[in-house]
Amino acid sequence: MEAEGRIRNVMAAVFDIPAAEITDDASPHDIKTWDSLKHINLVLALEDEFDIHFDEAEIPSLVNFRIIAATVRAYAE
Amino acid sequence: MGIELKYSEILRQNTALARSLGEERYKISVLTNVTVSQIKEILEYTLRLEGVPAVVTIGDYDNIVQDSLKYKRSELVVLFWEPYSTAGDLQYRIDLLSDFEVNKIFDKTCAELGLVFKNLQETSLVLMNTFTSLPFSAMDVMPGKLEELTRKLNAHLRDHTPKNARVIDLDKVIARVGIEKSFDLRYWYSSKAPYTINFLKSYSHCVKPFVLSSRGKAKKALIFDCDNTLWKGVLGEEGVSGIQMSRATKEGSFFADVQSIALSLNKQGVLIGLCSKNNPQDVDEVVRLHPDMQLRDENLAVKRVNWADKVSNLREIARELNIGLDSLVFVDDSAFEVNLVRSQLPEVTVLQVPESLHLYPSMLRANGGLFCSLSITAEDAKKTEMYKDQAHREVSKMEFGDLESYLASLGTKLTIHEDDVSIVARMAQLSQKTNQFNLTTIRYTEGDIGAFVSGALTSVFAFSVSDRFGDSGITGLCIVKNLDVQEAVIDTFLMSCRVLGRNVEYAFMNWLIERLERQGARRVYARYVETAKNAQVKEFFDCCSFSLRASTEKERDYVLNVHEYKSKQVEYVEIIDGSRRSYQECYGGRL
Repeated sequence: MEAEGRIRNVMAAVFDIPAAEITDDASPHDIKTWDSLKHINLVLALEDEFDIHFDEAEIPSLVNFRIIAATVRAYAE
Repeated sequence: MGIELKYSEILRQNTALARSLGEERYKISVLTNVTVSQIKEILEYTLRLEGVPAVVTIGDYDNIVQDSLKYKRSELVVLFWEPYSTAGDLQYRIDLLSDFEVNKIFDKTCAELGLVFKNLQETSLVLMNTFTSLPFSAMDVMPGKLEELTRKLNAHLRDHTPKNARVIDLDKVIARVGIEKSFDLRYWYSSKAPYTINFLKSYSHCVKPFVLSSRGKAKKALIFDCDNTLWKGVLGEEGVSGIQMSRATKEGSFFADVQSIALSLNKQGVLIGLCSKNNPQDVDEVVRLHPDMQLRDENLAVKRVNWADKVSNLREIARELNIGLDSLVFVDDSAFEVNLVRSQLPEVTVLQVPESLHLYPSMLRANGGLFCSLSITAEDAKKTEMYKDQAHREVSKMEFGDLESYLASLGTKLTIHEDDVSIVARMAQLSQKTNQFNLTTIRYTEGDIGAFVSGALTSVFAFSVSDRFGDSGITGLCIVKNLDVQEAVIDTFLMSCRVLGRNVEYAFMNWLIERLERQGARRVYARYVETAKNAQVKEFFDCCSFSLRASTEKERDYVLNVHEYKSKQVEYVEIIDGSRRSYQECYGGRL
């Protein structure tokens, strides 16, 4: 599966919502369950999924689907 | 352990499993002085997959002492108590403290530990981790003060672990995962979370055997195929002198180690058996005479050596040992047999001998946790003998046409011990492990039983059964709570399956009712609570002339007006009052 699809699945599992509800602009603003604890879970789940390790400084900025996808892709390349 | 799921997949499947939970909950509280938020779903998932309806609550950060009061009613309390977090951030600061100040931290932590264990003394099960300094000391060339403090705390913990607690060696978990993969210091500095998802997955697997054991789900018997499983070679083709299991040869040494591991499990109370397609005389000859064979007749509780299919043989083995198929672990080298058993008897845990034989002993050893027993007692050591007596009885039973005359010929003696403090561990073990003949299936710990034994309003009766074939050891338990002089409740009545089918339950009930009547009881209440395994005793109290008062799908409530009790005709069971001397004294030499 392409990276975007896998990211959507990870987010759906962490936030317990259907993957289809995660738009390209999804952010804590429109996903109610996206609080600070779930944010850590999201980061850990993405790292586990893609076997990557985000830089500590970029973790707070991973609050939008597009940014997450771009960051993950940068690590994958 | 199989292939590990990704964390997001664990979250997804755990949510799905939550929807299929029944009404029962297995409440787990994690008390911690660091942050381990992600353990909730990972531990829930690991246990729910095994049919345990686990619900995990994580206590407040660094609030272990207060939380130990708040969560003491959990079925399980897990403690994450990290030495580098016992007095603020200690990991590097500790090297700047004086010995006096470090000693104060040590004393304070020991005092808190004592208090927490005391607060949790009635909790069924407490899992405490060894203290570890590894996240901050693994690279030290010279040991620092944190490592020293950790060593002292572990020594203290070893000497002060209460009966209801078990210790998980955290350094071993970390070694398995790898230190780099266990810790993630990014979240240490921001939220005091030291552990990675990888670590938490591995840790949850370490919790599993303890939980399964406390719920009576530990495996009881390890059944081996023979050719290329207990020895190298095919007996029927190569003959007794052709097979190998000697440490003197490379081919034999794998099997020598496997037999040593099996023998050691047997000494811990695990039943060992054979299930092999061979000529029985050939296998008997190897067991009796082969110089390198370590598993001898006295270690083997059951042998099914014939040309019938393994599925029927395993069924018969379970029946002969009087244990469930889900209590069996079966080891075989043949993919055909392994798959056949897996597909026909999914309850049986099947291990296949690995193709790379150097992995075989460690694979078997790693599965030792399946047999995890929370309390190893003197009974375990002589279990094989007792189950073999049972097997002899089964054979005799077939020879006698009339069951009653068979039973009468056994010379059965029932020895009853009342409130005997010397057998508390065995009584707790019976309560935790007995599934089939168990009217209420309430699991009690050693602490619980000890309290009943010393309590004035509760009587705890244990009994052993002996006959001309042998002595069963303590195999029955009955707990009676006195509501007042005239009314009593049978809270627990259970018997090990080893003594089923001999009508001793009726002999005991005759004795109990007569005894209660002498004490002035007019009414005795009793209850049957259905589980997946105790259907055979559903009508036990009906058979004992109790009247059904109320019933739901899962529960049947009874009352007996004592003077209306109709005793069963089981005079061939002789009753002996063992309470004048303790069990240890009666059987001192044999335990």
